Amino acid sequence: MNRPHSFTEYIFLTAAVCSGLLTAAVFIFLFIFSLPLLQNGQLTDLLLSSWAPDKGMYGIYPMLSTSLTLACLSLAISFPVSLGCSFVITALAPARLRRFLLSMVRLMTGIPTVVYSFAALFLLVPFMRNILGQGSGMCILTAAPVLALLIAPTMIIFFVGSFEKVPRSSTLAVDALGGSEIQKLLYVMIPLAWPGILNGLLLGFGRAMGDTMISLMLAGNSASPLNSLTQSARSLTSHIALVMAFDFDSMEFKSIFVCGLVLYIFTAILMLLLRMSTLCFSGKR
Amino acid sequence: MDAETADDIAPLQVTPMQSSIKIRTQALCFYYHHKQVLHDISVQLPANKITAITGPSGSGKSTFLMILNRLWEEIAGCSISGNVTVELEGHLQDINDKALPARVLRRKVGMVFQQPNPLPMSIFKNIAFPLYLTHITNKKHVKDAVEGALRQVHIWDEVKDRLNDDGRLLSGGQQQRLCLARALVLSPEVLLLDEPTSSLDPEASAAIEELLLSLKSQCTLIMVSHYQDQIQRIADLRFEVRDGRFLCPDAGCN
Repeated sequence: MNRPHSFTEYIFLTAAVCSGLLTAAVFIFLFIFSLPLLQNGQLTDLLLSSWAPDKGMYGIYPMLSTSLTLACLSLAISFPVSLGCSFVITALAPARLRRFLLSMVRLMTGIPTVVYSFAALFLLVPFMRNILGQGSGMCILTAAPVLALLIAPTMIIFFVGSFEKVPRSSTLAVDALGGSEIQKLLYVMIPLAWPGILNGLLLGFGRAMGDTMISLMLAGNSASPLNSLTQSARSLTSHIALVMAFDFDSMEFKSIFVCGLVLYIFTAILMLLLRMSTLCFSGKR
Repeated sequence: MDAETADDIAPLQVTPMQSSIKIRTQALCFYYHHKQVLHDISVQLPANKITAITGPSGSGKSTFLMILNRLWEEIAGCSISGNVTVELEGHLQDINDKALPARVLRRKVGMVFQQPNPLPMSIFKNIAFPLYLTHITNKKHVKDAVEGALRQVHIWDEVKDRLNDDGRLLSGGQQQRLCLARALVLSPEVLLLDEPTSSLDPEASAAIEELLLSLKSQCTLIMVSHYQDQIQRIADLRFEVRDGRFLCPDAGCN
């Protein structure tokens, strides 16, 4: 009986080590391919200068600022909506509506981003073009709500999970004092569930930073520095996709590895924060 | 009442009832997912007395308490039939009357649970919270009310220097007294206690018992308890619940 048990353990251990090594290998791969640019100039120059390959400038500042702006804006739209939805699902909706809403949210997580982008291209872009009165209608303001729609289901599922972990005795205490549902949400559920809410926020932010298709199809893809939310802009992920589509050996091509490295480090920091917050709060409880 | 079952119950030394009736139930039945939990309960609970409800686990004791402040409405799959009237501010009130909002009823019929359940906020805010719910925001009034409630449950001296600490950091006994103070700060007319001392050590239990006796003059107390000796010490009247039916072993109850 021991032999198959050890064999199974061996298989799982190998899989775990391989996945860890692969993650490290991706980092090493990106770092090695970024070296030509990192050796030629300072990393800060790359992070803070503009993109002008014809002048030998391969800075990713416009793309980095676009990615961060898009992620923050979509999170600002998505967070209150997701929090409200998750509270309705957890506390307000009757059982049948709750099941329906949850299944809809789960369905939304499986919809490919290209579907959202394609629908927005025909519905939201013309609308924004009319509202703004100039340009193509493809800008950060167009991409952000669609990105918010994309990250909302992930956040809702996370928030619902956190709210369901709030002890029933605590919510009953507010009920017994004559508190309303909103008071229960504000004073008991959010304070007790906020480590989970924070985790959901970080995951949503990471997902918004990492999405390619929505920003590629809806943000306009101009690599000029970001001055306004109504201008065409290019995110880091769109930048990688666009440069890869037309080039494979120039300095421009090599610069996208720096973009990949920045995204990798950013995601790693987010995950680290996630782990720290989870460990910190699970330790306190 | 089943005479044979009633004979099994040990007789209690109880004070004969002379006070007015605070709560009256008539043909009260309670259902949980179509299963009948309480059967045809018709009882009268006296004002300014401690009424103890005892019985085996799962017999419907806590359910009965949750009917008296309509907390059952927060649990899916519950339904009720029959009448429950309570005398509030001198008027008889049908508690299932939809014109009486549950939140108004619950501020007059307070409840303390088996497990202490302080809210995730400071000791001060735990007590001030019910006042904020009733839109009482005058700082002096709130401060005085909080101090008064904490003094009433004899915990003021223990917490007066750390009112901003999280209420969940107190010991079990202190947490239960905090919850009692939270229920008392709105001056309820009826206080429902669901095994309030079951998670406490004997010393903390004794302190709570003493406190409950002192509260009789202000409100009507209905307490679920498993402890016969505790009931002997503090209850004026005892009901036993068996399989969802109320039995009254005491002389003087109806």
